[in-house]
Amino acid sequence: MEQICAALEPQFPCRETTIKTLGELIGNCEEAYPAAIYLFGHTGTGKSALTKAFLQQCRKQQKVRVAQLNAIECYTTKILLENVLDALAPQGAEETAKRADNMLEFVNELRRWHDQENNSSYLIAVDNAERLRDMDANVLPVLLRLQQLTSLNLCVLLVSQLPFEKYYNKTGLSEIITLHMAQYNKAETLRILSADFVHVQRQLLAGLSGNEKGLRKCEQAMTPEFYSNYLSLFLSVFYKACRDVPELKLTARKCFSIYIEPVLAGTIEATDVSRLWRHIAGPLRAALTQIYMRFDKPADELEQQSNESDQSVRKLAQSLELPYYGKYLLIASFLASHNSAKQDKRLFVKHHGKQKKRMQTVNAKAKTTDKMSTTLGPKSFSIDRLLAIFYAILEEKVGLTCNLLSQISTLVHLKLLSFVSGEQNIMDGSARLQCTVGLEFVLHIGKVVGFNVRQYLCDFM
Amino acid sequence: SRLAEGTPRRSIQLSNIVEQRIFKDDDVISTPKRSRAKISHSGEGDEDYTPKKSTQKTPTRSRRASTTTRPAKDSAPLTPSQKLKKIRAGELSPTIEQRLRPVDKSCKSQLQLAREQLHVSIIPKSLPCREKEFDNIYSFLEGKIQDECGGCMYVSGVPGTGKTATVTGVIRTLQHQVAQEKLTQFDFVEINGMRLTEPRQAYVQIYKQLTGKTLSWEHAHTLLEKRFTTPAPRRLTTVLLVDELDILCNRRQDVVYNLLDWPTKSAARLVVITIANTMDLPERLLMGKVTSRLGLTRLTFQPYTHKQLQEIVTARLGGSDAFKGEAVQLVARKVAAVSGDARRALDICRRATEIADMTEQSVATATKCVSILHVQQALAEMIASAKVQAIKNCSRLEQIFLQAVAAEVTRTGVEETTFMGVYTQVETIAAFMGAVVPAPGRALRLCSKLGAERLIICEHSRTDIFQKILLNVSADDIHYALRVEGNN
Repeated sequence: MEQICAALEPQFPCRETTIKTLGELIGNCEEAYPAAIYLFGHTGTGKSALTKAFLQQCRKQQKVRVAQLNAIECYTTKILLENVLDALAPQGAEETAKRADNMLEFVNELRRWHDQENNSSYLIAVDNAERLRDMDANVLPVLLRLQQLTSLNLCVLLVSQLPFEKYYNKTGLSEIITLHMAQYNKAETLRILSADFVHVQRQLLAGLSGNEKGLRKCEQAMTPEFYSNYLSLFLSVFYKACRDVPELKLTARKCFSIYIEPVLAGTIEATDVSRLWRHIAGPLRAALTQIYMRFDKPADELEQQSNESDQSVRKLAQSLELPYYGKYLLIASFLASHNSAKQDKRLFVKHHGKQKKRMQTVNAKAKTTDKMSTTLGPKSFSIDRLLAIFYAILEEKVGLTCNLLSQISTLVHLKLLSFVSGEQNIMDGSARLQCTVGLEFVLHIGKVVGFNVRQYLCDFM
Repeated sequence: SRLAEGTPRRSIQLSNIVEQRIFKDDDVISTPKRSRAKISHSGEGDEDYTPKKSTQKTPTRSRRASTTTRPAKDSAPLTPSQKLKKIRAGELSPTIEQRLRPVDKSCKSQLQLAREQLHVSIIPKSLPCREKEFDNIYSFLEGKIQDECGGCMYVSGVPGTGKTATVTGVIRTLQHQVAQEKLTQFDFVEINGMRLTEPRQAYVQIYKQLTGKTLSWEHAHTLLEKRFTTPAPRRLTTVLLVDELDILCNRRQDVVYNLLDWPTKSAARLVVITIANTMDLPERLLMGKVTSRLGLTRLTFQPYTHKQLQEIVTARLGGSDAFKGEAVQLVARKVAAVSGDARRALDICRRATEIADMTEQSVATATKCVSILHVQQALAEMIASAKVQAIKNCSRLEQIFLQAVAAEVTRTGVEETTFMGVYTQVETIAAFMGAVVPAPGRALRLCSKLGAERLIICEHSRTDIFQKILLNVSADDIHYALRVEGNN
C-alpha cells in the first residue's frame, strides 16, 4: 500500500488524503476489499486519472486484475459485461470465448475463475457511473454486490460527478463507501499549475532557438518565482469564473506567451510586476470570455475578437447564406414567436381601427421588464400564422409556391425553427413551430434585407 | 423495446432448461475432446435418466473406442442432440434423483402423522362437503361419455374451494368405472394455463398427452385440428380439463376459441371442462362467439362455511386426537370469515402442529396435542399484518420520516406528497423531538430504504426533492405502532 501511495503522490499533488484512503481500502490485495467504492467530485478534480493510475499501480505491484470501463460506451448490458470479462480474464482463459449474455452468466463465469485460481484479486472501475442508472434495472444492484455474489476478492469503483443519493432505486441498494474529491482551493490550484513550469520553460526555449539574445533574456527572466507571480495574477482574474484545473492550465499556457513578450522584447523588466499587470490585464480579461470555448487561435486575434461582444453572432448571421424569402420567413417566425397573437391585428393589418388606451394596459405595460417575451423565450405558432405575418411584412406579393413552403422545412432542418408539437400532421395545420434564433441574429438579418425588426416587436413599443 | 426500465428480459429457452436438467453440465460440452474421466462420469449420469438400464459389459475398456466402433444403440452415451431427440419423441421419461431411503413410518409421533395428513397435497379420496358438485360434474361427464357427443362445462369459484380436486376426483371415479367395464373408454387430457409459457403451447401439451411427442405448436395445432375434425371409426371420447382458463385468453382468443370450437364438431367427441376463478369470466373477458360456445352448463363452487371447514379438517385428521375440538373450530371460523379457503385452513392447522411440537418439549410425545393457544399463535403469525412490527423496528429517523409523511398527508389533505414537503415536516418533527435533522441526502436514503421495504411508495431518487411519496401503511398504523411503543 505504501509503495502505491508513494508512486502516486508526486503524480497527484494535493490529493494525499484521497490516495491514502484509497490505499487503506484497496491498497493491499492480500486483505479483503470493500464491496464497492463510490468516488465523486466535480469535473477536473482528477477522479478518473487518479483511479486509472491507482489501478495501474495495483496491477504492476500486486497480483490484481484490473478492468476499467466507461459506462457511456456500454450502451447495452452485454457490452459492459463482456468488457469486464475481457479485462479480468486469467491468462489461461484467453482463448476460450468469453460470452456473457446476462448477469447470471457473467457471475457464473467469474465464479468459475475463482475455482480455477485462488488468491487473485480484482478491481473494476466504472467511469461515468451515472449511466448505470439508465441501464437494465439489475446492473447497479448486482455491481454493488458483485463481491458477495462471486465470492471473489473484488471491488467495484464507481466514478461520477453526482452524489450517491441520486442513485437509490425503488428496490434499495446495498452499502457503498463514498469518497468525495473536493475541488482544489486557490493555493492548491496555484501549486498544481506551477508544476507546469518545466514544461512551459522548455516550450519557450524551443520556440526561441536561434534567437541568441532572446534566449539569454529568457533564461534570465524565466524563474519559478516569475512564473508563480504570473500564475497568481492569472488566478486573480480566472479563479472566480473557473476552478477546472485542465481548463485553467490550458488558458494559463496560452496567456503566458503574451505575458512574457515585453520581457523578451526588453520593454519591461521582469521584476516590474505592476507594469506587467497593466500589460496582461486586458488580454486576460479577453481570454476570460473565451473560456471553455477551446478556440485554437492566437491570442492577439482572440483579444480583438472579444472587444466586440456580439461579433460572433454577427459573423454567424453573415456566414449563413439564406435566400431572400428565407430571411423574411425567419424574421416572420421570430415575430410570430415573440409577439402575442392578440397583437397581430394591430401590428400587421393596415386598417385596424383605433386602439383605445385603457388604464389596464398602461398598468400592464408599466411592469413588463421581466415579462419581455425576448427574455421569456419563444412561444409557439402555427404555419398559417407564420405565412400571414410573412405576407404582411413582405411588401411585394409573391405566390405561395412549393419553393416557399420547402424553405420552411429547410429552416426546420437547419434548426433555425423547431417543431413543438404535431410533427406528424403538418399538413392539416395543427403543427406548432418555434423560432430558435435570438434577437441579435434576427436584427442582423433584418439589417441585411433592410427591414427594421424592432419596429414590429411589441416589447420595444 | 426500451432497455432501461423494468426487469431484465427473459432469454431462457425451454431447451436450455431441459439440457441443464437432464444432462450434467460437462455432459453438454461436445463430444470429440472429452477426457476419459468425464465420459465415465456422464455414463453414470446417463443411468439415472434412462428408464432401461444399460449394463456396461466392459467397464475397463476405453470408452472412446466404444463410441467410435459401436453403433450408438446400446450402452454408448448419447450426444446431447440425440438425447434431445429422444426427449422430444417421448422415449426418455424424465426422472429426478432418488433419495437413499425415506423415513420409516412407524417411528412418527401423533403430531407428525397429523401434520402429514393435514398437508395440502394429500387429497382425500372423496372430498367432504362437495358431494353435490361431485354429482353434478359426474352426471354431466357420464352423460357426455355415454352419449358419445361433445360438450363444455365452466366451473368457477374462489381459490381453495376444491374445484380441481373435485373434477379430478370425478375423472378418477369414471376411470375406475371404465376399469370395471361399466363405462366406455375415454382419453383424459389435462392442461393448466399457468404452466404454459404462452397460450399456444396448449396445443403442444394436448398433443403431447395424447401421443407423447413434442412438436412445435403450429404442427401440433394442425394435427389436433385434423384429429378433431375428420371422423374416424372407433374414436374414443376425449375429456379435456382446462385449468386457469383466464390465462389462455390472449387478445385474439384463438386458442380458447379452438378449444371450445372442437367440441361442436360432430367428429371430435371432445368434452371440455374449464376451470377459472371468476364467475363472470365468459361475459367479462371472452368474445361473444367464445362465450356462446362455452355454453350455459356452469357450476359455481361457493366458499366453505366454517362448519364445512371444520368438517374438512376433522376428516383429514381421521381418528387421531391430535387436535382439540375447539382448536379446529377456531381455525374454521377465522378462515371462513376471511376467504373460505380450505388450503389456508390446512396451512394454519399445520403451522399449529409445528408450534405445538416446538413449545411442548417437556410433554411426552404421545400425549402432545394442539390446543387453542397454539392455534391462536399460528393465526397471529399467518394472518396478522407485519406492518406494525416493521414500523416498530424502524430506526428512529425512519420513524420520524414516516410520521412526517403522515403529517404532510394530513396537512395537505392529498394522498400524494412530495419529498420537499415531507422534508420540512421531518425538520419540524426532528426539532420537536430533539433529534438531529438529517441532511436531505440522508433523508433520501431513509426514503429509499422505506420504499424498498414497501412502507412507503416512492420514485427513483434521481428526481430528489421532487419525488412523489405515497404512504403504503395506514396513518393509524404508524400512530399505533409509535404511540404504543412510546408508552412502554
